[in-house]
Amino acid sequence: MDPVKLTIDGREVAATKGQTVIQAAAEAGISIPHYCYHPKLAIAGNCRMCLVEIEKMPKLQIACNTQVAEGMAVKTQSAKVVEARRAVMEFLLINHPLDCPICDQAGECRLQDYYMEHDLKGSRFEERKERDRKREIFGPHVVFDGERCVKCTRCVRFVQEVTRTEELTVVNRGDQSTIALFPGKILDNPLSANVVDICPVGALTDRDFRFKVRVWYLKKTASVCPGCSTGCNVSVESYQNRIVRFKPRVNEAVNSHWICDEGRYCFHSLTDGERLSAPLIRQEGGLVPTDWETALHVALSGLRAAAPLAGIVSGRNTNEEAFLFARLMKRLSSEAALEVFYRERALTETEKILMSPDRSPNFRGARDMGAGTDGNHNSLAARLLEGKFRGAYLVGEDLAALEGDGGIEQRRALEKLAFLVVQDSRLTATAKLAHVVLPATHFGEKEGTYTNRRGRVQKLNAAVVPPAGALQDWQIFARLLSKMGDGRSFAGPAQIFQAISEEIPAYRGLTYERVGDQGVLLAGETKRL
Amino acid sequence: MEKVLLRNVDAPESHTLEVYRARGGYRAWEKALREMAPERVTDEVKASNLRGRGGAGFPTGMKWGFVPKDNPKPKYVVCNADESEPGTFKDRLLIEKDPHAVIEGTMIAAYAIQSHTAFIYIRGELSFGATVLQNALDEAERAGYLGKNILGTGYDLDVILHRGAGAYICGEETGLLASLEGGKGWPKVKPPFPATHGLFGCPTVVNNVETLAAVPWIIDRGAAQYTALGTEKSKGTKLFSVSGHIQRPGVYEVEMGYSFKRFLEEDCGGVRNGKKLKGVIPGGASMPVLRAEEIDGVTMDYESFQAAGTLLGSGGVIVMDDSTCMVRAAWNIARFFAHESCGQCSPCREGCHWMEKIFRRIEHGEGRAGDLDLIQSISGNIAGNTICPFGDAASWPAAAFIKKYREEFEEHITKKKCVRME
Repeated sequence: MDPVKLTIDGREVAATKGQTVIQAAAEAGISIPHYCYHPKLAIAGNCRMCLVEIEKMPKLQIACNTQVAEGMAVKTQSAKVVEARRAVMEFLLINHPLDCPICDQAGECRLQDYYMEHDLKGSRFEERKERDRKREIFGPHVVFDGERCVKCTRCVRFVQEVTRTEELTVVNRGDQSTIALFPGKILDNPLSANVVDICPVGALTDRDFRFKVRVWYLKKTASVCPGCSTGCNVSVESYQNRIVRFKPRVNEAVNSHWICDEGRYCFHSLTDGERLSAPLIRQEGGLVPTDWETALHVALSGLRAAAPLAGIVSGRNTNEEAFLFARLMKRLSSEAALEVFYRERALTETEKILMSPDRSPNFRGARDMGAGTDGNHNSLAARLLEGKFRGAYLVGEDLAALEGDGGIEQRRALEKLAFLVVQDSRLTATAKLAHVVLPATHFGEKEGTYTNRRGRVQKLNAAVVPPAGALQDWQIFARLLSKMGDGRSFAGPAQIFQAISEEIPAYRGLTYERVGDQGVLLAGETKRL
Repeated sequence: MEKVLLRNVDAPESHTLEVYRARGGYRAWEKALREMAPERVTDEVKASNLRGRGGAGFPTGMKWGFVPKDNPKPKYVVCNADESEPGTFKDRLLIEKDPHAVIEGTMIAAYAIQSHTAFIYIRGELSFGATVLQNALDEAERAGYLGKNILGTGYDLDVILHRGAGAYICGEETGLLASLEGGKGWPKVKPPFPATHGLFGCPTVVNNVETLAAVPWIIDRGAAQYTALGTEKSKGTKLFSVSGHIQRPGVYEVEMGYSFKRFLEEDCGGVRNGKKLKGVIPGGASMPVLRAEEIDGVTMDYESFQAAGTLLGSGGVIVMDDSTCMVRAAWNIARFFAHESCGQCSPCREGCHWMEKIFRRIEHGEGRAGDLDLIQSISGNIAGNTICPFGDAASWPAAAFIKKYREEFEEHITKKKCVRME
């Protein structure tokens, strides 16, 4: 790591030997425009957008493939550079359709952005434009528009270097060059939709998202993927209070620039469907709406009278929720058995690049909070279904709908309980069997923290607002605790996290501020993906 | 002048090992293997001032000297026999008529850098040449010049013939390496250079057929005899492929520094059918054209051609008489480069076709005011800004034709037709 000093646009910049000009510039806050360069892919050097002038070199050099040297003087704004960039923009646009109004990339397109920054000239091209394939389906998530492609080959390099699945290549020559699937292949690897994110233009778009909403209307919320316990950092993007897409958020300690397809689209199954808008209690064999005060009162008195008690919290609940849940259950009955619901599945080699076999994003954190006292891996759920308990409080997991046979046995077992409280965002099969149903929130509506399988504490933020009538899970637990005379009051996730940092040894000293938007590793954990 | 490169081609059965040996063939190979350390071979080639004959003119010995000695990876020599520059057919003659000289030169280069596997990458269209070369390789191996423990010296070498699939860009050295690796013929970004990261990421030397064919003569006779030929800076001899409106087209070996005018008028017999010379491209289609009056005083060497505003290039001399439509000629060349652009980098991929479309319009009477300046501007925006020299190769001739025959282009635009093609 030898230090190297150079100047960029007259500014002295400190870099390290082996870095390229584009990297050193980026670290100094100087952005050099580019299409083909991507920090996680091999250098292609083909777009020529990052051409810069380097003193003592007769030709312009590409910043992405030029290593820094002591005393090097780089100009990114000289007349020669400005003209070369404008020329590259002109070349890239001569065969590009002028269809921004109907292109889904509009608003987050490098051709648009760079045109405004580096070109702003009318086209001198008055010939017939070359045509290419439109809306060719590349795979389950990705669609291709050849005319919008700038042949930067980021997608090709991604499937060569990251997934090593090699579905894509460039075929033909010259202005007939185009991206194509290899014969007999489709782009359906577990990380396939990342090519949409790295495509700088409208050539590759997301079949799930496209044409749903113009991107400039999106509200972007930094959060964590609830798909598995890898805890990939995501931007949850919403429109009119609906989550419409996930985009990866760079975190080199977790997911780098990527997310898996399963995680990317998991918000559909977690948020779709009709929401509960009021608490329900069982009267004369049916569930009827009631007010929160009544529901909480009935829930509390019912649980108190139904020992032995089992409490199961979802691995999608936050640390803060799990912490209050554990506190509540122990107050209800010192004998109460607690468990964090666990879901696992086998992974292929390509899936293992990012995905974790543990499909519960906060299994580890919720157990750290004391919400898993009863052995491991769903032994409590099994015993509950065997009829070992009289009362149960189930949070966020639909036990009755787990098995392929429609859950007849599970339903029968749950029906036998003397008292069942179900807390969920929707009226699940399990909720239909409950004596009290408490409407709560999903991952996209809550603030709090998850601890991934490597012991990294990361922050969730609320992207959308829960429906009227639902309460945050932490609020429900806090109100029940307060009814039971718990002297400590909790004003929100931040205060609960404060309590966690005081009471849970591994979390001692942590603060929301330290967790930040990149997370923080628990003491004693080693940093690796 | 004593012939260096065409010393064997006129002998009957010159392609056979028997004839080649009878004429002194493989003497240099035995001398190098038995009497010379590898570095001495490189030094001798350095001393000869032999420069790359593929077009760029890079000093050959220096290129060999760039190969790191302490690199544990295998090293490779690749003979670039992908001769595709329009107007150039000199390597083809050597391959077909003197294949053993090409092979011997390749072997000596391999020995100099201590490579044990060499490749000859031959243009796919040269199927006859490929057959001749393969037969010659088989003969050389049977004679013990190739294979294991060559001539009892303990040195091993295989030479593998590989046929290209028909892309001009595979003559560019890194495009060739990409193709030889089994990939698409896309030139690679430099650095790193082939000398350290070439074929399969290993140190590699790529030399042109004509360059390598000169090596056995240099090793056999010594660098001093080679440097006795030519000018102060351009040593030795060079092959020129002459085509077009010329009395005696063909491949000529010329001592560097020979008068270009005398060459065309006396050696080649002058413009055919009594017509007048209008222009000549001296170094293959990618080099700037010279007007007839510009060849006065030009000598056939790197420096003189450069001083005249063009380059020696591959030595592909294309002669055009006064019946030639220079717009059509420029369009023809532009069309070739548009067709052959590999499509990797933006300026070349888009710009070559753009220029071709404009040339086509002008030739067909649809030119517009401003077209000529536009082509000059496009050509300037491509040149120097691409991964490989193809961008220069495509833009130089376009710019030169317009600069030197502007009145003829303007005539097409104002008259809205080509008067020569009527």
